[in-house]
Formats: sequence, structure tokens, C-alpha cells
Amino acid sequence: MLMQQLLNGVVVGSVYGLFALGFTLIFGVNHIMNMAHGAVFMWGAFAGLYAVILFDVPFPIALLIGAVGGGMVSVVLDWVAFRPLRKRGAPEFSSIVSSIGASLIMLSLAQQLTATRVMRFPFDIFPIVVFNFMGLRIQLLQLIIVGIVFLMVIGLLYYLYRTKYGRHIRSVAFSEQTSKLLGINPFAVNFQLFFLSGALAGIAGVLIGIVFNSVHFMMGEPLLLRAFVVIILGGLGSIPGALIAGLLIGIIQTLTVAYISAGMADALVFSLLFLVLLVRPTGLLGNSGAVARVTRI
Amino acid sequence: MMSFFHSYTPLFELALFNTLLAFSQYVVLRAGVFSLGTAAFAAIGAYVAAIVVTTYGLPFWIGIVLAIAIGAMVGALVAIPLARLRGVFQALATLALVQIVLSITLNWVDVTNGALGINSIPKTVGLVGLLIAVAIVTYFMAAIGSSSIGRAFDVIREDETVAVSLGISVVKHHFIAFVLSGAIAGLAGALHSYNSYSITPNEYGFNMLVIVLAMVVLGGRVSIWGPIVGAVILTVLPELLRGFQEYRTVVQGALLMASIIYLPRGVADTLIGAYRRRRIAEETSRMRETVTA
Repeated sequence: MLMQQLLNGVVVGSVYGLFALGFTLIFGVNHIMNMAHGAVFMWGAFAGLYAVILFDVPFPIALLIGAVGGGMVSVVLDWVAFRPLRKRGAPEFSSIVSSIGASLIMLSLAQQLTATRVMRFPFDIFPIVVFNFMGLRIQLLQLIIVGIVFLMVIGLLYYLYRTKYGRHIRSVAFSEQTSKLLGINPFAVNFQLFFLSGALAGIAGVLIGIVFNSVHFMMGEPLLLRAFVVIILGGLGSIPGALIAGLLIGIIQTLTVAYISAGMADALVFSLLFLVLLVRPTGLLGNSGAVARVTRI
Repeated sequence: MMSFFHSYTPLFELALFNTLLAFSQYVVLRAGVFSLGTAAFAAIGAYVAAIVVTTYGLPFWIGIVLAIAIGAMVGALVAIPLARLRGVFQALATLALVQIVLSITLNWVDVTNGALGINSIPKTVGLVGLLIAVAIVTYFMAAIGSSSIGRAFDVIREDETVAVSLGISVVKHHFIAFVLSGAIAGLAGALHSYNSYSITPNEYGFNMLVIVLAMVVLGGRVSIWGPIVGAVILTVLPELLRGFQEYRTVVQGALLMASIIYLPRGVADTLIGAYRRRRIAEETSRMRETVTA
């Protein structure tokens, strides 16, 4: 029983990690708290869902469409909500407010589109295959999800630390001014950054939509609130931190729901956030020197 | 004329309630604290006030006093650990506070009646009561704002290093700001529960947090007029847009974005700034005339 719950926790937690990755990536480079990340996630899930409903595409294509959809929404968000502020050099307060506004608009449009319905992926989107392994019931879907998440994280780390583009991103994270002098185009960097972040959120959206079998306009809010806890626990801007903390939060939450009560889970998770902020605001893997940037792994 | 007032009483009451909440948010922002805890303090105030009257049968003014006191106390309790944090971290910690209070009010069913909320609270506060409360708080805020505390808030918000080098204690003033924010929000919550017959936990969640923040950003964070202007605009606007019910949130969101991008200082502060600049220009031109004459 305990092992089964742990397994469920790992699955949920890895999706939390995936969602939080995009969030922490943007924070690490631009120091923006993107409060509209939940809405991007939701639109990614919508893109995947509508692709499945309208064109009957298979699971991998739905994931891809969710990723591209989330990425595009995120890029537009950057153009509309953050770029004017960046140009002015506005304080971090402004970008939070602006992204809250953007999030309200995106949520409301989604609500109109779906008439506040809860929608579902078709039942046969993913075959139900169950393995029995040492008394554990493991679904193929769960394995695939954990696999996808780890692949995405490794891919992201490779992109950031082993390619030219990643070097550009890290350089802009270090200093946009210096990067410009060195001939790096911050416009292109931010485009990639927001697309990547949105794509990660979109994939997380499609996965969550399939796992919990529901897609609706408010689906991003609980994840966004969890993501705050995840990124603080993992260290703002730290990529491995986001993954580890995501897993941890997923496990804690699943165990609390299973053994204490569902209502306590939220209180416990947010008390944990409070506690981490008090004891170690830089998080598990954050670096207290630099305000935890993606330059530091 | 009287019928006009009568039919719009709920709207006036809502605007006054929102003004109180906006003051609670304003006082922390003015001191450079990025607290989002207003919704949590208001929830605590509302529940304290409702429980005092419904469970213990005490008169409502005891509820109001207790709500203010407990709001201030929670503000103080939060301020002590948060003294070490700044900016985004403060925002997240206070957001966590809102979530913690929300899940307590939802799950501590014996005391708070869970998701159903507390109903049939006798209505003891009307438009006049709210008006008096807003007048007192506005006076109090204006008095504090023009005292040394207000000046210290301004310096801390603009530059903490300068504040420290001037011998202003940042910790102490952040503490004051939190206590004031908690007390005002506690009062607002108490008045709301005595005014609206019932309270439910979800009224005091993320939505309230966003709307209250929007009011202060739109109105302005420095002058005392900011929260008032913001609260009035964001209360009246949804009524004017009633024909476009579905697009109300879109308009709210767009307004929030537009004001932070194009009017970063808020409506009231921008207008006051423009007025002052014009006065200075007039003064200088008059002086120039007298010199040439």
C-alpha cells in the first residue's frame, strides 16, 4: 500500500516538476514571476484536447500539439505582457501584476470557449495496460509519464549547457547588457525561453489532462500554487531543484491524502513553503550568492 | 434622489468594503513590502466577527474590536519571520498564508462550518457604519502617511540602503506596515460579515487577492487617494459593463495590464504628479514675469 502510494506520488510529482521547470526557467533568466504560467498550461492542455477531439490524433501527436500550443501562447504572453516592461526596466513587481492581468484574460477566454464545462480526453486515447510488479500495480501510462518527464529534463539540461543556444540563454541570464555587447540578440533568446517554458507547460497540461481525465479552464490554478512551493523548495531558478522538489511535493501530497486527509494536504504543503522560506529561502539546491540562476546547476 | 441611493446601496457598500481592503494592501506596498496577505487577514477578521456573534452571542462591536485586534496580531506574527525576506519571496510567503487560512477555514468544520460558511449573521452594519469606518481609516492613514512613519515608508520603498543609512529601521517599519495591514483587513472582514448575512471561505481566496492588488496598482501606491480611486473604479466598472457580463474578467485583466504597462504609478499618483508639475511651472513663469517686470 505504501509503495503503491509512493509510486502514485512519483508520477504526480514528476508532472509538478515538469510544470515548475518552465516557471523556474523564466525566473532564472528574466527574474519574472510568471503568474500566467497556469493559464499557459491550461491552453496547452486545450490545444492537445481539441486536436484529439477534432482530428482524432494519437497520443504522441497530441503531446506535440500541446507543446507547440503552450509554447506559442507563452511567446505571445511575453510580447504582450513582459516585453514593454523589460524595455522600461520596470521592477519585478510590475511583471507579476501584468502577468496576473494576462492570466485573467486567458482564463476568461477559455471559460467562454468551453462554456465552463469540464471536458475529457476520449477513453481510448491511451491503452490501459497494467503491469504487476512485486505486488505493485503499475500502469503503462504512469511509466510513460515518468519517462517523458525525465527525457524532457535531460533534453533541457543538454540544451542549456551543451548547445550554442543554451549558452546564449545563460549569458542573457547573467547580464542582458553584456550579452548585447557580445552580439547576442536578447529578442531571440527570450523567444526561445518563453517557447521552451510554454512547451514544457503544454506537455504537462496534456499529461495531467489524461491522468486526471479532466480538462477545464481552472485546471492551472492548483498547479500554479503547487509550483510556487516546488520552486521555493528546490531553489528559485534551479532546474534539478525543481525536479527533485516536484517529486518530493508529489509524494508528500499523495501520502497526506492517503493517510491523513485530503483537506490537510494543502495546509501541509503551504506550511512547508512557509517553513522553507523561513529556514532556507534559497531552497534545497539554490545558491545564496547569486539569486539562484540557471547558470548554476 | 433617495430612490437612486436606495437602489445603489449595495454598490456603495461594496465600494466602501473594497476601499478598506485596498487600504490594507496599500499600506504594505507603500512601505515596500510585497505582501499579498490582505485576503488572509480579511478572512480571519470575518470569521472572528461571525463566530463572536453567532456562537457566543456577544454584541457586534466586541466582534469588530476582536477582529481588528486579531488581524493586527496575525499581521505581527507574520511580520517577524518575514523580516528576512524581500520582494518575490515575501509575495510567495504571504500567498502561502492565504492558502493556509483558506484550507483552515475549509477544513476546520467544527468552528468554521467548512465550505458552507457561516450563515444567518444578523445584519448590524449598514452603509452609514461602513462610511464611518472608511472615514476613520482614511483619516488614520492620512495622519500616518504625513508623519515620520509615512516618510520612512517612502524612503524604504524607494531605496532600502538609503533608508538604513539614514538610520531608519527597515524591520521596525515593515512590522508596522504588517500590523496596520492586518488590522485594517481584519476590520474590513468584520464589517463584511456583519453586512452580508453570510460568509464562505472561497470569498477570501486567490480572487480577492488579485482584485485587491489590482485596485492599488490601478489607483496608485503612494498617495492616500490611490486605494480609494482604485477601489471605486474597480467596483463601478463591472456594473457599467453589466451588458458584457462574459467579458468582465477580460476587461479587468486588460485594465490591470494596461495600467501597469502604460500608467505604472497608478491613476491617482499620475494625476497628482501632473498637477504638481503644472503648479510648479505656473509658479516659475509667474516668478519670471515679476523678475522681468
